[in-house]
Amino acid sequence: MKINNSIFGTIILLLLSINFSCEDQVSIDAPTDKLVRTEVFRNDRTAISAMNGIYNELYQADFSGGSRSSVTVLAGLSSDNVQYFNSVNLNMMEFPDHEILPTNPGNLELWSSAYNIIYLCNSFIEGLINSTSIDLELKQQLEGEARFIRAFTYFYLINLYDKVPLILNTDYKVNALKLQVEKEEIYTQIEDDLKFSSETLNTSYRNSERTSANKYVAKAFQARVYLFLGDWQASEKLSTEVIDETASYEILDSLDDVFLANSREAIWQISPIGGGGIASNTNDGSMFVIDPFFSFFSTLKLDESLVAEFSENDLRRKKWIGYNASLKAYFSHKYKISASSKFPIQEYSMVLRLAEQYLIRAEARLKMGKTQEAVADLDVIRKRANLSLLTEINPTISGEALLREIYTQRRVELFTEWGHRWFDLKRSGHIDTTFNNSPTWEITDRFYPIPSEEISKNPNLIQNDGY
Amino acid sequence: MTKNHNLCRRRRMYAGCLFFLSISLTLSAQDLLVSGQVTDGQLPISGANVLIKNTNTGVVSDFDGRYTITAKPTDSLQISYLGYTTLTIPIQNRSTINIILQEDATALGEVQINAGYYTTTIRESTGNIARVTAEDIELQPVVNPLQALQGMMAGVEITSGGANPGAASTIRIRGINSLRTEGNYPLYIIDGVPISAEPIETNSILGNSGLDPLNNLNPSNIKSIEILKDADATAIYGSRGANGVVLITTKIGAQEGTGLEIRTYTGLASVPKKMDLLRTSEYLAIRKKAFQKDGVEPTKRNAYDLLLWDQERYTDWQEYAFGGDAEVTNANLTFSGGNDNTSFRLGGSFFSQGTVYPGDYQYRKTTGNMSLNHFSKDRKFRVTASLNYGIDTNKITGDLKLSTINLLPPNAPALVNPNGTLNWFDWAEAGLANPLEGYFNRNDIGTNNLITSTSVFYKMLPGLEIRSGFGYTRFDSNELWRLPARSYNPIGNPVNRSAHLSSVRKSWIIEPQLSYNTNIGKMEVNSILGATIQENNSSRQSLQGSNYASEALIGNLAAAEDIINAKSSNIQYKYAAAFARIGMNWEKKYYVNLTGRRDGSSRFGPNNRFANFGAIGTAWIFSDENFFNDVFPYISLGKLRASYGSTGNDQIGDYGYLDAYEATRGPGGLYPTSLANPDYSWEVNKKMELGLELAFWKNRVNVALSWYRNRSSNQLIQYTLPAITGFGSVQANLPATVENRGIELEFNSVIFNNKNFRWQTSFNISLPKNELLRYPGIEQSSYANTYRVGEPLNITLHYDYTGIDPETGYYTFNDVNKDGRLDFQDRTLVEDRTREFFGGLNNNFTYRGFYLQFLWEFVKQNGKLIYYNAGRMENILNSYASANLQTPTQSYQGNLAFSNAINSSHFIEDGSFYRLKTLTVSYDIPERHLQNMGIKKFNLFLHGQNLLTVTSYGGMEPENSYEGNFIGNLRTITAGAQITF
Repeated sequence: MKINNSIFGTIILLLLSINFSCEDQVSIDAPTDKLVRTEVFRNDRTAISAMNGIYNELYQADFSGGSRSSVTVLAGLSSDNVQYFNSVNLNMMEFPDHEILPTNPGNLELWSSAYNIIYLCNSFIEGLINSTSIDLELKQQLEGEARFIRAFTYFYLINLYDKVPLILNTDYKVNALKLQVEKEEIYTQIEDDLKFSSETLNTSYRNSERTSANKYVAKAFQARVYLFLGDWQASEKLSTEVIDETASYEILDSLDDVFLANSREAIWQISPIGGGGIASNTNDGSMFVIDPFFSFFSTLKLDESLVAEFSENDLRRKKWIGYNASLKAYFSHKYKISASSKFPIQEYSMVLRLAEQYLIRAEARLKMGKTQEAVADLDVIRKRANLSLLTEINPTISGEALLREIYTQRRVELFTEWGHRWFDLKRSGHIDTTFNNSPTWEITDRFYPIPSEEISKNPNLIQNDGY
Repeated sequence: MTKNHNLCRRRRMYAGCLFFLSISLTLSAQDLLVSGQVTDGQLPISGANVLIKNTNTGVVSDFDGRYTITAKPTDSLQISYLGYTTLTIPIQNRSTINIILQEDATALGEVQINAGYYTTTIRESTGNIARVTAEDIELQPVVNPLQALQGMMAGVEITSGGANPGAASTIRIRGINSLRTEGNYPLYIIDGVPISAEPIETNSILGNSGLDPLNNLNPSNIKSIEILKDADATAIYGSRGANGVVLITTKIGAQEGTGLEIRTYTGLASVPKKMDLLRTSEYLAIRKKAFQKDGVEPTKRNAYDLLLWDQERYTDWQEYAFGGDAEVTNANLTFSGGNDNTSFRLGGSFFSQGTVYPGDYQYRKTTGNMSLNHFSKDRKFRVTASLNYGIDTNKITGDLKLSTINLLPPNAPALVNPNGTLNWFDWAEAGLANPLEGYFNRNDIGTNNLITSTSVFYKMLPGLEIRSGFGYTRFDSNELWRLPARSYNPIGNPVNRSAHLSSVRKSWIIEPQLSYNTNIGKMEVNSILGATIQENNSSRQSLQGSNYASEALIGNLAAAEDIINAKSSNIQYKYAAAFARIGMNWEKKYYVNLTGRRDGSSRFGPNNRFANFGAIGTAWIFSDENFFNDVFPYISLGKLRASYGSTGNDQIGDYGYLDAYEATRGPGGLYPTSLANPDYSWEVNKKMELGLELAFWKNRVNVALSWYRNRSSNQLIQYTLPAITGFGSVQANLPATVENRGIELEFNSVIFNNKNFRWQTSFNISLPKNELLRYPGIEQSSYANTYRVGEPLNITLHYDYTGIDPETGYYTFNDVNKDGRLDFQDRTLVEDRTREFFGGLNNNFTYRGFYLQFLWEFVKQNGKLIYYNAGRMENILNSYASANLQTPTQSYQGNLAFSNAINSSHFIEDGSFYRLKTLTVSYDIPERHLQNMGIKKFNLFLHGQNLLTVTSYGGMEPENSYEGNFIGNLRTITAGAQITF
């Protein structure tokens, strides 16, 4: 019996030694592949990683990544620059036809991805503000970057959809029922965010690449926002600050080099490396370039009217436009590499570049009556394209003609980049005359519909007119 | 449900011997020496247990059936022998008592069933537990033991994961309970240790199904598999019991002497059915007709098969892709032995299976197992231990687009050049990639699986036992996918690449328990109180290497120029619970069984970690009532049972409640991947069951009928939100309810049973019904186009097919809302894809040394087979003459009509089948030939798997009746021998 007693005793001891505090037993640490938000913002390094995460996600996000449902592609299709020539995907046809159904999946992707980026920014800003342990200077810098991206995203949302809900925090229970607000209210927020960014951001990039926001990125974008708002002085002042930063930025002589990674014309680029995986060059390249071998994959070509807009000896016509003989199609050849997993990656997706700043300033100056200076700015762009200079051939150009020329240059310079043409058509008021011939055009087509799925999930949203 | 009498009888005999030999004889004054003989009326029964009732004292009858036992004159003897009705005889001062045992045809009351934390018998069980024993499993040439259960159990639906060895099968116990497909795994318990039922992730072509976590078990080492179905049986598993529980018990050692058993078989497996495809001339004729019809001039781009390719060439692509024979080999060696107090079993096995595809691929598995069982001399203390270890290596094709290859035009050019390289040239001419792209890729998966468990028992007082179970498991898998450059078109400058994936799952569990059994007057009480602490840790790492300098270096990461996509994650899961059971019966007639569990799980937010589950089960053995016996003497058992209770489902992934950041796909970034909801909780499954069990003519015929209704509510789903919140959904509980109800019938009969000939037959059928009872706001949810309230979960929404337009020759459909376009709003026809009924019919015949067994599986269900893709260059079924098919065309409109037809009611057909699932013939070489060699038993057997399938379905595998060219169960024929020393 002795041995049994000792066995019995052992078992009892064993049972007693088990800690029956259930609460403790089922509480676990966070896993190594997840970091609780408060931890992310406990130290500088992880906070910087979270900011990098937003830049990475900009390449993944539909609206900014340059692929099928990006602003570049969809707003390009809506304008008179890009055509869709594969009739299989009827949803895509709705954009050039200006007959976008509220159920269009591309439209929903565009909208949702923009709000996802806004969520990332809001979550980041909340985490940063609640943090007490991050270096103050870094805190300001990072907040500036996140607020820049939020402003950037809202800018596209209102210019695509007009009134949208303004969401500045991460509380989904409240946000799920938010109402749309007037465009002006969102512009106020954008101005506010950009003012903060251009004040707090450093003049240099955070690393050797042009993929993070610095002071000039914020100012360059601010210049565009004020142009859209008609504040010519502010716009001129800001674009001048960027143009004068010649240590960093220049108009490259060779058109072939403009869209290379970290080109000196680039103010801000999105790196395809942010996509992870077997890295490839830009989505813009794979969407627009028609590969001679894989031409059957291609779906986009340039509108003949855009090709016709180039003068005979415009270098951009030669360098930036390609032609596929078998499909009889012109295509955008700004990016040279279509689909390739070649290392290292040579091209980044361009968001802001110096040429646009000259065009912004030309327009702002013209509006302010500084015609000569406007002509000079425009000539910077013309010169690079091997066009004769206006100061030489037409120094006394009328204001009206100059404005037309600015818009023309904007079209041939900035085509297939971030829907510039679509927004210019709306801004200039030329949109109606441009699409008047189209039987399906209505003035309400200026704005895309609010996705119907969104309205069904949030009954407070009101559909745009005409849908 | 089938039982193995011979096997059990023998084991029981050994057990009995050992148990009672150890009791020493001490004669005192009042004691009486009783002796006699146990017979069945004619022949002596050796090995019968003769026990003094209500004591642990007993003996076993000897070879001539004789026994001698010391007892008090007032005692009663209880004589039992498996397969015979137990007798209780008062001694009444007699010194000679001869006993005649009556054969109990199926020994219904005796077979012990494992209910997890306790055992019960079919007679006394208040719940619904299905059981399969070793003999039904061990000869089947399957990798995963669950595959051997097809057609054997009512309410258990098993579908094969495909023809590749190692693919996870799908097992559903009484239907789909959760709206999330990944929320429907049952709980697996092996020798008391829970194993995650979630398939293991793989990059390989098994990626769809995943690797089955039970692959590394040796089916031959399984003693029994019990499946717990209703609330009474599953509620003691609490938050993990909602989808049923699969209890796997491995074999334990014999308790007398030593024994050696060798079993080996070998055979071939092949794809049992191919589709009836067009010959070259027929194919080309149709293609030409399409162009004529459309008035389109064929060009090299749209008609390369007509203009570029050889018009005479013919290749049977099915034969090419999966026409091979896969070799199957298995060898098993078991050594067991023991004495009074200790028994052990050691075993090892080897299994290999080839594939039916071109190329040299193979699955190999080696397992080892050990079990130990020890009693202390006074039998108060007991310890059992078991260890199962399995290693498998799966070398599988890294990339084979089977569904493309077998539908290639019959005149397509060769895929491989005579020099062994891939033929890119001929295919590029047509603007195509070689369909064998990736052919040289290879995937090597190796897994190791260790499952150990130990239990310690101690009888403190009569009826009171304390015990504790301990378990540890570890499963790891390592995978290397080689993608050499020569697998890809040189035009794209491919590089040598590799993808690596490894994962580890570890868990430990401690389950202390206290059980107390007592009698209070006529009431018997069995109770258990216990606790569980469990922790699982799993981790995975993956990365990809590229730009290896040479193919031979692929996989050696040091030689890779770039390492990308490196990812790692780990998951911790902790679980704690307390459980209790009280089983009571009055005179073994009225039974009440109460079970309950309080569960805590780390999968839920801090506010929702604990929940209670419980069930009540009752049974009434009305055949033991006197009034009943008088009226229906031929009914040997009549039992009514009912149970009701709740179980939970916590299969929702881990950490979902954390507001956390993860690494972005791009390098160096962190970001939130979902909205955090700290408040979500379990799914609750309320189960109700009514059962009637009847046995006739001394249990020769048994019938069990059960009706069940399980309602799964508080469904954990991705609750949809507008995208302005940042994400489209958040994990939350929704008051949606899924109901599974049905009827199951089991029938089991020993039709003949005499000395030379025995015929046993069993039959089961299940009639399940599944319904989404309610789902508020489904229209706005992401499930709007997947589920319909009032319909089963496994449905498809179809266009209403309205025939062929006589003018265009194209398919037409009903545009329900008349908006001029076909979209989801027009897909108003609901097709139920749930099995209407299914079951099996098993027969065993024994004549002297001969044994014949065959099992028919039957399933009634719908299916779908797409016949003719108008216009695409794809081979089609030979039945193109049918008036139901649209005119040959290659136009866009024709293609559109065809793709709509795929989503319409048009191609639905009957997917029902009868399948001869297993057929076994075996022969025992008579003992007289063996005795000299020291062999106890020599058995030769032939076994066939999936030999015959009767179906009207035109696709390859009716079990997967919606994927016409799915390769599922292989037809396997094996031959082998079993030798016992």
